[in-house]
Amino acid sequence: MPFHVARPAVAALAAAVAMTFSALVAAQQPIVLQWQTANLTESQYEPIWKQTIAEFEAANPGIKVEPVLVARKDHWTKFVAASQARKAPCIVSVDLTTAAYNGYLMPLDKYWNAEPAEFRKAWSDAMLSSAKWKGQLYGLPIWGGTYAEIYNRDLVVKAGLDPAKPPKTFDEYLAWGRKLTGSDQWATAVLGGKTDTTTRVLLMWIWANGGEAFNADMSEATFAKNPKSLEAIKFYLGFAGKGGIAAPAPTTTNYLEQTNLYAQGKIATMRNAYWAVAKVVGDNPAMAGKSFVAAPPANVPNAPTLATVTASSISSSCANPDAAWKFIKFDAGRKWAVARAKVANWMPLRNDLADDPEIKADPMLLQYVQIGQNARSYPLPHPVWAEIAANDIVDAVQKALLAPDKTDEIFRDLDARLTKKLRDI
Amino acid sequence: MTPRRRRRAGLAFVAPAAAFLAAVIVFPLGHAFWTSLHRVRGLNATFVGLGNYVRIFGDDAFWHSLGVSFAFTASAVVLHLAIGLALALVVNELRVGRTALRILFLTPWMVAPAVGATIWLWLLEPQFGVVNYLLRVAGIIPSPVAWLGEPATAFASVVAVDVWRGVPFVMLLMLAGLQTIPVEQYEAAAIDGARAWTRFRYVTWPNLRYLVVVATTLDLINTIRHYDIIGVMTGGGPAGATEVLPVLIYNTAFRGNRLGEAAAIGVALLAIVLVLAIVYVRAARLDDDKAAR
Repeated sequence: MPFHVARPAVAALAAAVAMTFSALVAAQQPIVLQWQTANLTESQYEPIWKQTIAEFEAANPGIKVEPVLVARKDHWTKFVAASQARKAPCIVSVDLTTAAYNGYLMPLDKYWNAEPAEFRKAWSDAMLSSAKWKGQLYGLPIWGGTYAEIYNRDLVVKAGLDPAKPPKTFDEYLAWGRKLTGSDQWATAVLGGKTDTTTRVLLMWIWANGGEAFNADMSEATFAKNPKSLEAIKFYLGFAGKGGIAAPAPTTTNYLEQTNLYAQGKIATMRNAYWAVAKVVGDNPAMAGKSFVAAPPANVPNAPTLATVTASSISSSCANPDAAWKFIKFDAGRKWAVARAKVANWMPLRNDLADDPEIKADPMLLQYVQIGQNARSYPLPHPVWAEIAANDIVDAVQKALLAPDKTDEIFRDLDARLTKKLRDI
Repeated sequence: MTPRRRRRAGLAFVAPAAAFLAAVIVFPLGHAFWTSLHRVRGLNATFVGLGNYVRIFGDDAFWHSLGVSFAFTASAVVLHLAIGLALALVVNELRVGRTALRILFLTPWMVAPAVGATIWLWLLEPQFGVVNYLLRVAGIIPSPVAWLGEPATAFASVVAVDVWRGVPFVMLLMLAGLQTIPVEQYEAAAIDGARAWTRFRYVTWPNLRYLVVVATTLDLINTIRHYDIIGVMTGGGPAGATEVLPVLIYNTAFRGNRLGEAAAIGVALLAIVLVLAIVYVRAARLDDDKAAR
């Protein structure tokens, strides 16, 4: 056969060989799953997630898990940017309602329904409902955190206060705060930095005063409209400024700054979840055993606290959702839930762990569980929540901290702005 | 080769570069403009025509941010030029250690902006930062200052960090310009008994004037687009005091999840940069004309 006739056949054969070879190579390549959650960068959690990945990969040789380490404040924006590029990490823990509404997540009902009843019964219906949007499941609740008031026992005793009788009302808290404030030391920190932690704490003060930030169906904001809400906002933000009981620079204070201040003994109390205690001890081991926790002060009976629910989801751009679900299931196992609770202080959300001896052996965790029995789930279930929680509400807090005499006007503007956004979906 | 074939050959030579420019400039610009005509919610988009433009121009946040952008750019560029020119004059006069000094002054420019901003973020930290510590030890401030926590100090801080980073570029341009001035002009001025200020006014400045226009325009274009330093140090806060347009774009797109509006702000920013670019091109052309004459 002349060469010019055989040339197309040779080329086709070469292409076929190349394709077969590349398919074989691809088949031998492990599936790589990227995993992004806000807490992977926290040192107290690091040994656990490393061990989780190692054991998962050993049990599943064809799958590799690649952690995506992102600073907490950039967690959401990186996820959004990656989702827009259809390159989001496969396994993510993000504001579920907003992400699901925007099409960034994959419904998980197919996987969930295929699981045995034994596995599914570890999650209560109430817990699962926090991971649903429009009736579909978009995440598996993995860990959570109830917010409470954490006190530095040494500083409380030094101020002549009794750790056994922590403040129960706003006025009692302020009285304690005045005694806990001294030279280069403050009672607490007002959070005003540009993350949604600012919003979490603000909501708690509002609820503790019998106020509401939104109406029942979240179609209207009532920060200023509800007098109890506005009263609580003024009381809380009033801690800042000259003669106040809060550390300076509240507009730049976030979770990291707050825990740093507490770890260094600069502030005596902080409003936070149990994981903050682990972070403080990690930052300053001398703080081990020096904290005690109490329910947040409230002006109304049975005031709810706030409990975050963090669920693991699969992004809609994930090419290997089956493998991703496998990892989510593995990470949701009892062993890791207990390890997260014991070492990193992330509270388990499986209801079959409530009586686990290792969980019960931690008195502070038990206290947190008790405080969390009357808690509202966070993030709030609205498609624009991620946007307003870290932006509009924080901006209003910052403005009010900088111009306290304009607080009414600032929060009235916020109500109008938010109501417009809440309805614009 | 016939003229037609020659033209075709020319087009063939230009085609790869044209395709590359289309891919990296024309397509992204077109895509951004197209996005600005849509209401984008996550992965869903609806055509809204000029709705996003109406929305942003009716929003106080945009006008506030535009004002912050102008204030930031004007302050930073004036300081870049003044300090850059002063340093260039000093370095140009040196006979020993000029290269070492030049490298030293260039260091901030070599540091990645986000890295530099992070370093400054910690230096300016109110409780544990070195700046407050030194100022307190020196007795200049009685208590820690929240540099990034108050609007005025936050604005001054981001301008200062931008100046720290931007001065080397201007200094380098000016130094290059100073070295092209014929020595004979200074010698003639010296013979006429001109002092330092007179030499600067009648010899240095006229020779540098065109370079100053070019440096100013380039620096304006560069500075008005800055995101990294402010993004890292304040994220636009407190209460929007440092929210320049690029930061507003980022916050609207990725924090606010409103890509269409963010793209519309981006197009508005592009229009501003375009005007500055036209000024630059005209300035360059004027100088070419002068040189030709």
